Amino acid sequence: MSLAALDDIAVHSGTNEPIEGVVRIETSPLEETAPMFMAKMRSVYPHEEVFGKYCTVNDYVDCPPDELFEYLAHTRSLEEWTYTLRDFTPTEESGLWLAYDRLLPDTTIYTRTVANAESRTVDYHCAWDQGEHLWMIYVLRVLDAQVVLGKPGSVVLWTNCRHAFYDNNPHPEAAPPERTGWVGDFWDLFGAGHGLELNNLKSIAEYRHRNGLPVTPAWMSTS
Amino acid sequence: MNQPTVSLTDVSTYLPGEPVGADYYAKFAGSDDLAANLMFRAPKFRHHVGPDETVIDMVERAARGLIERHGRDVIANVDVLITHAQMPDVPFYGGGGGIAHRLGMRPNWVLDLHNGGCAAFVLGLKVARQLLASGQGRTALIAIAQNAAGQIFDQPGVRRKAQSSVPGDGAAVALVTVSDESPILDIECRTYGEYAGDMTLVIDPVRKWWQPGPGEGCIGFTETKIAKVLARGNEQVPEVALAVCDRIGLSSKDIDLLVTNQPNRVFLRNWRQALEVPESRHLDTFDECGNLFGAGIPINLDHAISDGQVKAGDVVMMAAFAHAGDFAGAAAVRWGGRS
Repeated sequence: MSLAALDDIAVHSGTNEPIEGVVRIETSPLEETAPMFMAKMRSVYPHEEVFGKYCTVNDYVDCPPDELFEYLAHTRSLEEWTYTLRDFTPTEESGLWLAYDRLLPDTTIYTRTVANAESRTVDYHCAWDQGEHLWMIYVLRVLDAQVVLGKPGSVVLWTNCRHAFYDNNPHPEAAPPERTGWVGDFWDLFGAGHGLELNNLKSIAEYRHRNGLPVTPAWMSTS
Repeated sequence: MNQPTVSLTDVSTYLPGEPVGADYYAKFAGSDDLAANLMFRAPKFRHHVGPDETVIDMVERAARGLIERHGRDVIANVDVLITHAQMPDVPFYGGGGGIAHRLGMRPNWVLDLHNGGCAAFVLGLKVARQLLASGQGRTALIAIAQNAAGQIFDQPGVRRKAQSSVPGDGAAVALVTVSDESPILDIECRTYGEYAGDMTLVIDPVRKWWQPGPGEGCIGFTETKIAKVLARGNEQVPEVALAVCDRIGLSSKDIDLLVTNQPNRVFLRNWRQALEVPESRHLDTFDECGNLFGAGIPINLDHAISDGQVKAGDVVMMAAFAHAGDFAGAAAVRWGGRS
């Protein structure tokens, strides 16, 4: 017997049969499960399966993790490594920044960064057009590459989840009148786009680290 | 100076004996029967080499179609003979000499290729093309015999394993000529020597294959390596096919007929998905013949030609990988029709 694992469900369901969707070696031996795994291995995977509901990009960055975290924790780092976010200015609300997303004309984006130094998580809570409801969440975590890859540097994990608002703009009244497009129109490009931006981040941070420059530039640390 | 164009002119094949149904294995099936899974689901039928049938016998029978269509002299006068037998009749030497003799040939070149495995036909095409293009002759014969199903996989202990119902035996002979009628457009062969040891001959209790002792020899992969072999096959076959596509300026979607080796249904699905070729243009004989290893490509091609699924002018892409992923090859031919 393995401790008390799932005992509550066994008591509740009145049986030791696994509940639907749970596959554990006690009830599904490896000889049966391994072929199922193999049948799921493909040469190629459908775009929808890889990028449909969640968009994840990851990469190694040759830069110490704490320095990379500190840089990313500055909202205005986005001014440097994103493809389109520019002209960050603070708003009257503390921690909330206003910028332009040059993806489409006259499009403003609001950002609040929630960072945790201990776990090196950096979440950018954003929204186009309005700063009341920040629903576009860019979830990043910086890992110590020494721990996960056995070499100095960082690994950046970055995921976006497909909030329903990507498909339907909840605040059409806030959009600039001439604009016809919406951020969610680009969802299927996020994999490629975020991959490009992550590579920007990698290139910038590695350049600074390699050349002895502060990873977070002086201008970003001030004000 | 332009090298002469070399064509895959024709192919003929042989399947030994009556089809062996899946029920043959059901009566032996051991506890590892995984029949329901896509990965290991047994083909409905396969053929087994006869108890005393040799590689030379199989090749002679496979050559009958070519002799009927092209005449005995065309076969007897080939300049280059290239052979591949999965299990040579005698381990010390290949079958080339005996095959040449049986077919009444005196070729200048006789080569037994043992490294090509399931991609042996592509390797044979590459060697034949190179030799003919460089002036070593006008015609070449490629002879492939796959004969493990009725031999090593039919041992009393081995045939109880689920994997034993998958192989099938067969042979194929192809005529390659200096000609522009059915040109070989390009060929890519790659060796991944680092994987060469991952296919093993397992005997329990352990002994070398030539040493006396109990226990049946069984070809296999170490359990933990199976996923790696699958990943390699998933990657290598589309990779070599796409390399050929790139060089001949063909989008893989425009391949008229895709012919691959056929280790199992999962690979067949994965490869056509990767190359974006619909199932209707990816011909396999898995359910009738099982895994034909190196004979898979030419036998599938012969079936496609005979069934009218490939017509003159079509681009045929042949692609396969061998063993545990130590070799892969792809060849494209603009099929000229069977006259």
